[in-house]
Amino acid sequence: MPTTFPILTLITFLPAVGGLLLLLRRDEGDSETRTLAFLFSGVTFLASLPLFFGFRNDTAALQFVDVRPWIPALNIQYKVGVDGISLLLVLLTTFLMPLAVLCGWKAVERHLKAYYACLLFLETGMIGVFVSMDLILFYVFWEVMLIPMYFLIGVWGGPRRVYAAVKFFIYTMTGSLLMFAAILYLYIYLGTPDRTFDVELLVMRLRGLPFGAQMVLFLAFGLAFAIKVPVFPFHTWLPDAHVEAPTAGSVVLAGVLLKMGTYGFLRFCLPFFPDASHAVMPLVSILAVVGILYGGLMALAQEDIKKLIAYSSVSHLGYVMLGIFALNLRGIEGGLYQMLNHGLSTGALFLLIGMIYERTHTRDVKAYGGLAKAVPLYAVALMIVTLSSIGLPGLNGFVGEFLILLGAFEANWLYATLGALGLVLGAVYMLGLYQRMAFGPQPARAAAEHPLEDLTTRELCILAPILTLLFVLGLCPNVFLRTMDASVNLLLAHLAV
Amino acid sequence: MSPTALALVQDLRLFLPEVILVLTTLLVIVLDVTPVRKSHRALLYLTFCGLLLSGIYLLRHYVDLRESGGRASSSNVLLFGNSIALDPFAVYFKGLFLLVGLLTGVLSIRYKKLNPAGEGEYCVLLLCSTLGLFLMVGSRTLLMAYLGLELVSIPSFVLAGFQRDSRLSNEAALKYTIYGAIASGIMLYGMSLLFGLAGSLDFAAIRHALEGQTELRASPLLLSVSMLMILAGFGYKIACVPFHMWCPDVYEGAPTPITAFLSVGPKAAGFGVILRFFYQSLSTHSGGGDWTPIVDQLQWPIVLSVLSVATMTVGNLAAVAQTSLKRLMAYSSIAHAGYLLMGVVVLSKDGIFAILFYLAVYVFMNFGAFLFVVFLHDLVGSEDIEGCRGLGWRAPFPCIAMAICLFSLTGLPPLGGFIGKFYLFLGVIGRELYWLAILGVLNSVVSLVYYARVVKAMFLENIPRGEAEPLPVPFFYSAAFAVLVAPILLLGVYWAPLVKLARYSSSIFGA
Amino acid sequence: MSLLDAYPLQHYLLVSAALFALGIFTLVARKNAVAMLMGVELILNSANLNFVAFSRYTVGNFSGHLFAIFVILLAAAEAAVALGIVIGIFQNYGDVDADALDGLKG
Repeated sequence: MPTTFPILTLITFLPAVGGLLLLLRRDEGDSETRTLAFLFSGVTFLASLPLFFGFRNDTAALQFVDVRPWIPALNIQYKVGVDGISLLLVLLTTFLMPLAVLCGWKAVERHLKAYYACLLFLETGMIGVFVSMDLILFYVFWEVMLIPMYFLIGVWGGPRRVYAAVKFFIYTMTGSLLMFAAILYLYIYLGTPDRTFDVELLVMRLRGLPFGAQMVLFLAFGLAFAIKVPVFPFHTWLPDAHVEAPTAGSVVLAGVLLKMGTYGFLRFCLPFFPDASHAVMPLVSILAVVGILYGGLMALAQEDIKKLIAYSSVSHLGYVMLGIFALNLRGIEGGLYQMLNHGLSTGALFLLIGMIYERTHTRDVKAYGGLAKAVPLYAVALMIVTLSSIGLPGLNGFVGEFLILLGAFEANWLYATLGALGLVLGAVYMLGLYQRMAFGPQPARAAAEHPLEDLTTRELCILAPILTLLFVLGLCPNVFLRTMDASVNLLLAHLAV
Repeated sequence: MSPTALALVQDLRLFLPEVILVLTTLLVIVLDVTPVRKSHRALLYLTFCGLLLSGIYLLRHYVDLRESGGRASSSNVLLFGNSIALDPFAVYFKGLFLLVGLLTGVLSIRYKKLNPAGEGEYCVLLLCSTLGLFLMVGSRTLLMAYLGLELVSIPSFVLAGFQRDSRLSNEAALKYTIYGAIASGIMLYGMSLLFGLAGSLDFAAIRHALEGQTELRASPLLLSVSMLMILAGFGYKIACVPFHMWCPDVYEGAPTPITAFLSVGPKAAGFGVILRFFYQSLSTHSGGGDWTPIVDQLQWPIVLSVLSVATMTVGNLAAVAQTSLKRLMAYSSIAHAGYLLMGVVVLSKDGIFAILFYLAVYVFMNFGAFLFVVFLHDLVGSEDIEGCRGLGWRAPFPCIAMAICLFSLTGLPPLGGFIGKFYLFLGVIGRELYWLAILGVLNSVVSLVYYARVVKAMFLENIPRGEAEPLPVPFFYSAAFAVLVAPILLLGVYWAPLVKLARYSSSIFGA
Repeated sequence: MSLLDAYPLQHYLLVSAALFALGIFTLVARKNAVAMLMGVELILNSANLNFVAFSRYTVGNFSGHLFAIFVILLAAAEAAVALGIVIGIFQNYGDVDADALDGLKG
C-alpha cells in the first residue's frame, strides 16, 4: 500500500458513509439493513489491518499521516495519523464494531435502520478521536460521538434508559466544554505567529508554560477525561449507562469509549503539561487506588450482573490510571496494554451477558445457576473471559496488570500494594459471579419449561475471534508491546523535561 | 435643483434597498383594496419579490463597497446629513434582515392561524418592520437610532397581536406595547441627557465631546445614568436581563412566524445599534482592533458583562422548567442574547466579528426551530413539548432537522452553532476574561438540559397509544427544513466564506 | 432673551425630572392599561422638554427641537397602536386591567 493513500481517512469515514446510506435507503428489508451494517463495519476492520502490518516500530513519529488545510485563517487542519499510543486502540475499535453489530442481530427489533446508523456514526466518532492530531478536529469527534451514544442508550436501552441517557450526556458534556475552553486558552497563549491546534507542534511549543497555568489547564482537560474514564468520584454515570444500554452499546461503551479518557491523558495531558502531571501524580494515584478498591467492593455487592461488570470496569480503569500515572515505561505500557485487555475482556463479558439475557430476560444473578450443565459451551466461554478478567497468567489480563504493578512499585510501593489488593477483590467477585452462574442448582422454573439453548453458530462466530485474541495477547505480548515502545519513550522524554 | 436637493437625490440612489421596501409596502397597500387580494397568498409572494429585489440592490452596494476597496473610504459613506451610514457592517446586517423577512414570510405560508383577510396588513407591517431594522443598523445619530427602533417596534406591536380573536395574542400585544413604550421612554430620557451633556446627537460628535471636555469626564455620574437609560431601550430589543420580562409572554402569544421574526430580527438590529453606539461614541480605538472605554469612570464593559452573565443564566435556568415549545425558545433566545453580549464586552474586533458570525448562524437555527413549531401546530395541533412525543419515528425528517437545530443552538460540533460559539469564546479568552468564559461554558451545559428534553420527547419517549402510524409530511415542510438545515451543517464543516464576509463587515471597527 | 435669564436651564431640567418621576410612578402604581399609557406620555414629554431646553440653552442649534418633533409624532403613532390593542383587549376580556391579563405565565 503506498504511503500516500489516505487510509486513516478512509477507515474513519467509511462507517459514517455506511450510516448515511442506511438512513437514506428506501426499502425496509431488515436482513439487508443488518447485512449492510455488518458489511461496512467489516470492511472497515479489514481496511484497518494494513495499519498494523505496515506499522514501523522503530519510530515515534506519526504514521499514515493525512494532512489537509481546513481553516487556514485559524491554522485549523484536518490532520490524522497514528503512533504507538493510538494504533492498537484504533484496531480495537474496528475489531469490536463488527462484533457489536452482529450481537444485536436478534435483540434489536425497533427502528433497525436508525440503530445501525447510530452504531456506524459512533464508530466514525471513536476512530476519529483516536486518529485526529489537531485539537479542534479531536474536539469535533469527541462531541460527535456523544449524540449517537445518547440515542443508543436512550432509544434501545432498558427501562430507565431515558434517565441514563440524559445523565451520560450531561456528565460528559460538562467535562468536554471545560476542555473546550482550555483548548481555546492554549491557542491564545501561543501568541500570533505560533498559534496552532496541531498536537505535535503544541507539545513543542507549550514548553515553558508556567506551572500555575499548567495546573489549571491540566485540571480542565483532566476533568473531561476523568469523567470519561471514569475516575472515582466521577463514575456515577457509568453503572446507569451500562445497565440501561443495549448489549452493543455496553460493548462499545466498555470496549472503546472508556479508553478515550485514558487515551486523552496519554495524548494530551501528560505531554502538554509535564510539570503538572508530576505534581498531580499522588492525587491521581490515590483516586485510582480508591477507584480500584471501591469498584471492587461495589462489584461484590451487586446482584445485577451488568452492574457488577460496570463496577468491575471502574476498578479495571483504576489500574490503567495507576499505571499511566506511574509515569514510567512499564507503567504506561502496562496501562496501554490493560486498555486493550479491558476492551476485549469486558467487551466479551457484555457480549456473553447479552446472549444469556436474550434467553432469560433477566440480569439478576440469583435467577441463574447450573449453566455449566445446561449450556456447556457458554460456560466454557464465560470461564475463559472470567479468567482473563482476573488476570490469570497465559491470558491477556495478566500481562497488563503485571506491568502496571511493576511500574507502580517503581513509582511508589504504597499505591502499588493497595492496588494489588484490588486483584484479590477482582478474583473474589468474578469467580463468585462465575460460580453462582455456572454451578449450583438450576432454578427449577427455567429448567422445566424452557431449556436454555446453547450458543448458536452466529454467537460462536462473534465469540471465537475475541477469545482467540485473549490468548494471543496473553501468550505473545511482545508483538503488541513492541509497537508502543518508541512512542512511549518519546512521551517519557517529554515528561522528563 | 438646489445643491441640497441634489445631494438628497444622490443619497437616495445609495438608499435604493430601503426605497424598494417602501415602494413594495405602498404597492401592497394599494393592491390590498383591489381584487388581487382574493387570490391565495398573492400579497405574500409580492412581498417576497420586494425583499428579493431589495436584496439585489443591496448586493450591488456590497460589490461597490468592496470595489471601492479602501476600508477607510468605504466606511465614510454617510447619507442624509451624516445620519445614516452605508458601510459593510450595515450591509451585512441588512442582508440578514432580508433573509429574516423572507423566512418569516415562508413560515407564514402555512401558518393556519393567519387570517387571509388580514394578509395585506400583515405584509405591510412586516415590510415596515424590516425597514426599521435597516434604519437601526445604519444609524449614526441618536435620532436615527430612535426612529429606527420605533419603526421596528410599532408594527411589531400590531403583529404580535395579529390574531385579533385570540386572547393570548391580544395579551401578548399589550404587554409588548407597554413594556416597549416604557423602555423607549426611558431610553429617550437618557438620550436627552446625553444630548445635553455632549451637545450633539451624532455618535462621532459625542465621542469628540467626551474626549475634549475634561469636566465632563470628571463627573461621570450623569453620564452613567444616561448610558444605563439608553441601554434600557437597546436591552429591550435584544431581550437581555433585566429588560427581558416581556419576552416569554410575547413569544408565546404572538403568531409563530412573528415570534421567529422577533427572536432574530430586532435582536440582531439591537446588537447592531449597541455596537455602533458603545464603540463609536463611548470608546476609542486603541489600535490593532482593540478598543478602550473613553471615560475611565464609565466602565460600560463591566456593566455589560455582568448583564451578559445574568442574561444567559436567567434564560437558561428558566428554560429548563418550560413545557411550551415557544416559551422554551423564548428563554433560549434570552440566553443567546447573553452569549452574544460576551462579544460586545471584549472590546475587540474579534468580538464584533464573532457576533456577526453567530448572528448569521442563529438566523438559520432559530428559524429552523420555529418552523418546527409551525409544523407541529399544523400537523399535530400542539405547541408543547408534550406534542412532540414519539414524533421522531412518525415524521423522521422534520424531527431530525429540529434535533440538528437544537444541538446547534447548544453548540455541539460539527454544526454551525459550535463554530459561532468557538469564535465568541475565542474572543473572550483572547481578552483574558476567564470568569466570563467559564460561566458561559457552564451555561451551555445547562442549555443542553432543555434542548435535550425536546430531543428526548421526540425520539426517546414512547409514542402515545393509537398514534403509531407515520405522519405524511407535506413537501413544503421537507423543502423548508432542508433549506434551513443545510447551512447549519455546511457552516459546521466549511465556514471560511462566512468568516471572510463577517471579517470584512466588521472591518469598520479596525482591521 | 429675558426668558432665558429669568429661568435658568436648571428649572427646565427639574420640571422634566419631576415629569419623568411622575411617569414612572404612574406606571408602577396604576394597573389600568390606559393609565399606564398616560404615564408613558409623561416620560416622553419629559424627554422632549429636556431636548428643547438643552437645544436652546447649551447646544445652540435646532437638533433638539427636531428630535422633540419626531418624538411627538411617534408618540402619537404609538398611542394609536396601543389604544387599538387596548380596545381589542377590552373586547376580549371586558376589562383593561393589567392584572386581568394572566393567560401567559411561566
